[in-house]
Amino acid sequence: MIGQILLLCGLLLFSIFAVLAKDLIKSAISLALASLFLGIIFFVMGAPYAGVFEISVVAGLITVLFMLTIALTKSGGDVRESKAATLVFPVFFILVALIDIFVMKGLLPKLQVLQSGAESGTFAEVLWKQRTFDLVGQLAVILAGVFAVLALFRKKDNHD
Amino acid sequence: MIFLYIGLPLLVAAILPLVGKISKKFLPDLLANGVFLTLFVLALTSGRRLIGSGPVLQQFRWMGEDTGIALAVDGFSLFMLMAIALVTLCVGLYSINYMEHYGSKSVYYALLLMMMTGMNGLVLAADLFQVYLFLEVAAIASYALVAYGLEYDELEASFKYLMLSVVASAAVLISIAVIFGMTGSVGFAAVAEGLRALDSRAAVGFCSALFIMGFGLKAALVPFHAWLPDAHPSAPAPISAILSGLLIKVSGVYALTRIFFNVFGLTPALSEVLMWTGMVSIIVAAMLAVGQPDMKRMLAYSSISQVGYVVLGIGLGTPLGIAGGLFHLFNHAVAKGLLFLNSGAVQQATGTRELDQMGGLAKRMPLTAGTSIVGALSITGVPPLAGFWSKLLIIMALVQARQGLLAVLAVLASVVTLWYYLILQRKAFFGKLEERWNSVKEAPFWMSAATVLLALIAIGVGIFFAAMLKTWIQPASDALSQGVQALSIGGF
Repeated sequence: MIGQILLLCGLLLFSIFAVLAKDLIKSAISLALASLFLGIIFFVMGAPYAGVFEISVVAGLITVLFMLTIALTKSGGDVRESKAATLVFPVFFILVALIDIFVMKGLLPKLQVLQSGAESGTFAEVLWKQRTFDLVGQLAVILAGVFAVLALFRKKDNHD
Repeated sequence: MIFLYIGLPLLVAAILPLVGKISKKFLPDLLANGVFLTLFVLALTSGRRLIGSGPVLQQFRWMGEDTGIALAVDGFSLFMLMAIALVTLCVGLYSINYMEHYGSKSVYYALLLMMMTGMNGLVLAADLFQVYLFLEVAAIASYALVAYGLEYDELEASFKYLMLSVVASAAVLISIAVIFGMTGSVGFAAVAEGLRALDSRAAVGFCSALFIMGFGLKAALVPFHAWLPDAHPSAPAPISAILSGLLIKVSGVYALTRIFFNVFGLTPALSEVLMWTGMVSIIVAAMLAVGQPDMKRMLAYSSISQVGYVVLGIGLGTPLGIAGGLFHLFNHAVAKGLLFLNSGAVQQATGTRELDQMGGLAKRMPLTAGTSIVGALSITGVPPLAGFWSKLLIIMALVQARQGLLAVLAVLASVVTLWYYLILQRKAFFGKLEERWNSVKEAPFWMSAATVLLALIAIGVGIFFAAMLKTWIQPASDALSQGVQALSIGGF
């Protein structure tokens, strides 16, 4: 239990730092560490496949992509950010956390759970035979993302 | 056959950027509009045969073997597929001329096709996780399309839309996770059965609240509407048309309705919440629309107000109310699509969206002005146009259900709607033509063709409303009226 709480605290702390960090590299590394904690939580909670995906794809591949993008980006000069964000975020975060605690405290004892059997089939069977439509959706998400990048980073031909 | 609704736009979107290297305009125009037309014709012809004996769960077969892809089709999903294909077809035709000056047409059409894939996938999904997944597909495409012009306002509006949409997606995902934790499943039928067995009111209430917040944000219902008046006017006109005409309804109203009626089962408390959320949206957005100096912004506020009517009718939960709500969903998709396309024609001709700078444009743009009047009167609910019948059904359903206060408020809000649409028409199209607009010309062929087609549909559906009700609205309404029973009939 204490181990799980520590892992959750680690996840929260690095997530908050990823939002508040001014340096993009630090923010990306912090996000990768948050993903690492989440991946370990998945392992501890008995979801090893989710853990493997979280650590390899989110903590690994996506962090590499972030780093490459940041390395290819030129500094656009000083951009003054409103200080309101740094003040509002902690207040908002504490408020949401309090609501979350109160709601969950009231809800969890009332939450009934159906008895469900163990997962049927191997990982490959679940992925390729039972949840095939999810793969179509994933493919569509990736394609939409690629087209979004092509659209947003295109040369404006005649628009101006 | 039904898998074509997802597979065809996905496949053509995937090859379009490559096709764009060979032909910058002609082939992307042809391919994309070919897909929209094919899917529209499919919905009109073979779709009805498929569900002739009731809802079906169609297994997609590949090389003679069943795959894990099972698509749920009933009267409601088929009705939505038809509406999506119709509005997207008109938007596609309009884009042939309108998107000329934006460049990269192949990427634009690829994103439009991805948005269609997302909406179709959501409508055909038979489980909660697939609803979430295809919601995201449509959303990602829409963020890029809102920012397609790459100007400061467009990027800012897209970012705001993205941020609020992420909150909506998170709320939906948390709710799905809680349901999965309780029932061990995400399939519609299994979840419905599991929730009945558990009879856990607190958990269902919690999940319902998150779904109302999440899908309410997607549908831009008041008080979750802040992103829409920025995002919809900033996007290119065809995208504004599809966002206001379709996306808020599919990713907001459809998803919310499908889950509340066919999975959770509509309770009296939920019905009250939906009706009052709808009514607050109708009134607040109508008040905000009055006095808007920006033509597209006025139309955007009007969308929030009209989606309120849809939610009010459906939320009532009676067969007549549901039929009225669904009919208004279709009529608003057609009329608002038309009005946004017309606003694009006016903006392209004059270079402004400010109503105070326009005036007398009907003399130079008679088709645009004429079709705009049809769209405005239909939304307002003036007989014999389509919007009149849907509003009449909603108000009759409210009276029948002894919801006199809501009925009176709905009528009064309709008067306010008429007021701001008359302001829009007068300021933009009537009065004396200013000298600087002397050189303004009517919109090019495909832009006019798309708006004329939509105007004819608004008139035609108004005249033949009984046939529309019988063929499309009634089967869709029945699928919802049957509540959780519909799932066991369809084997979802």
